[in-house]
Amino acid sequence: MTRPIDELADEFVLGLLEDRDAAEVERRLAADPALGLAVARARDRYLSLDLTAIPEDLPDGFAERIGAEIDRDEGTGAASASMPAANENRPRRLAPRWIAAAAALIAFVVGTGIGWQVNQSEPVVIAVLLDETGTPRAMVEDFGNDTARVRFLADVDVPDGRVMEVWTLPSADRGPVSLGILDAVGPAVLHGPDLPAPAGDQLYEITLEQAGGSPTGRPTGPIVAKGYAAPQI
Amino acid sequence: MNHTSPSVSADGVASAEARLSAALVACGRGERSGIGDILDVEGRQLLGVARRMLQRRELAEEALQDAMVQVWRKAAQFRVGEGSARGWIYAVLRNRCLNILRDDRRLSIVPPEDLTAMQDARQDAASEDVWQGLPTSDRLRGCLETLEPETRRCVLLAHVAGYSHGEIAAQRRVPLGTAKSWIRRGLLSLRECLS
Repeated sequence: MTRPIDELADEFVLGLLEDRDAAEVERRLAADPALGLAVARARDRYLSLDLTAIPEDLPDGFAERIGAEIDRDEGTGAASASMPAANENRPRRLAPRWIAAAAALIAFVVGTGIGWQVNQSEPVVIAVLLDETGTPRAMVEDFGNDTARVRFLADVDVPDGRVMEVWTLPSADRGPVSLGILDAVGPAVLHGPDLPAPAGDQLYEITLEQAGGSPTGRPTGPIVAKGYAAPQI
Repeated sequence: MNHTSPSVSADGVASAEARLSAALVACGRGERSGIGDILDVEGRQLLGVARRMLQRRELAEEALQDAMVQVWRKAAQFRVGEGSARGWIYAVLRNRCLNILRDDRRLSIVPPEDLTAMQDARQDAASEDVWQGLPTSDRLRGCLETLEPETRRCVLLAHVAGYSHGEIAAQRRVPLGTAKSWIRRGLLSLRECLS
């Protein structure tokens, strides 16, 4: 995306970007202060148009409705406003030396057909998940029918009493969504919630969570590995 | 259009902004009072924006409710000093409204004849009255005035009614590329005019 940053910011704020480009902007925002500033300026540039709408009275009990929705959203009711959004602690871009290694691993794993078939279908996207040193740890194949397959490319040290939880970020607006829990390092097929078809560059990550999974429905524990999806079909 | 907002003074705007900024910081710290404060200061206007984009009252309420949950979740991402709190909050709401407008499954519960009426009303909502309703002291008003009427119409359809490039092209009966370039040029002119 080499367009002028202000043009990109304007079209992002007006909702004119294609989904994929908008998701890319969302993802860059946390780590790109210049883009953050451009988007903030664009928001304020047209704000006075919003102030021309005719105000409407809120229904009775609206604040309580929102409070109840937040409670439901947070499950246990624990405050999670400062939860680490998946796009806030993004990994560094793929270290070049690992791109070739990861590609070779994918070719090997996919080519040799390790594991089993998921309805004989092809994954819509594949994401190689890297740890903080850039080492590939796992691979997620998302079949787009709310089914994802996870395979490990290296061992992961899972402390006693902890489980691994697999997440994806279908959109920054929706926030991270759990695809399921893994008790042990090994191939697994996860059946997650009903989500839009996965897209290229969609974020996938695995975190360590308490037994039974994250108490808040959002990633709370340390990140084992994360990576971005590559479209396959 | 009966222009009823924002008749507040410059001081009023400044103090509303200070309250909204404080409310976002409170939300970011996990204090529920922040949500109530935002609704007190801006709730009616926010619902008005959602109603203008979505037309249907129940959709507008749903959008604002969802948006406030998002505000709560994402408040910690708001950076004081990087744009206004007000702009940040409206952006969350607009985003939610756009998602509803572009979710076919979501709109499929609206009866077809109502959907047609809703789309027509959205179009009307982006009329010339909108920018002419801006205070004469508002720089954006002066800048919109300098645009070609057709360009201005496209920009307003996008911002006020939440139209996509494709919808604007269809509505103005021009090729997609033409609509895109009109809008891009219009936004560039506005940026230059406002800078």
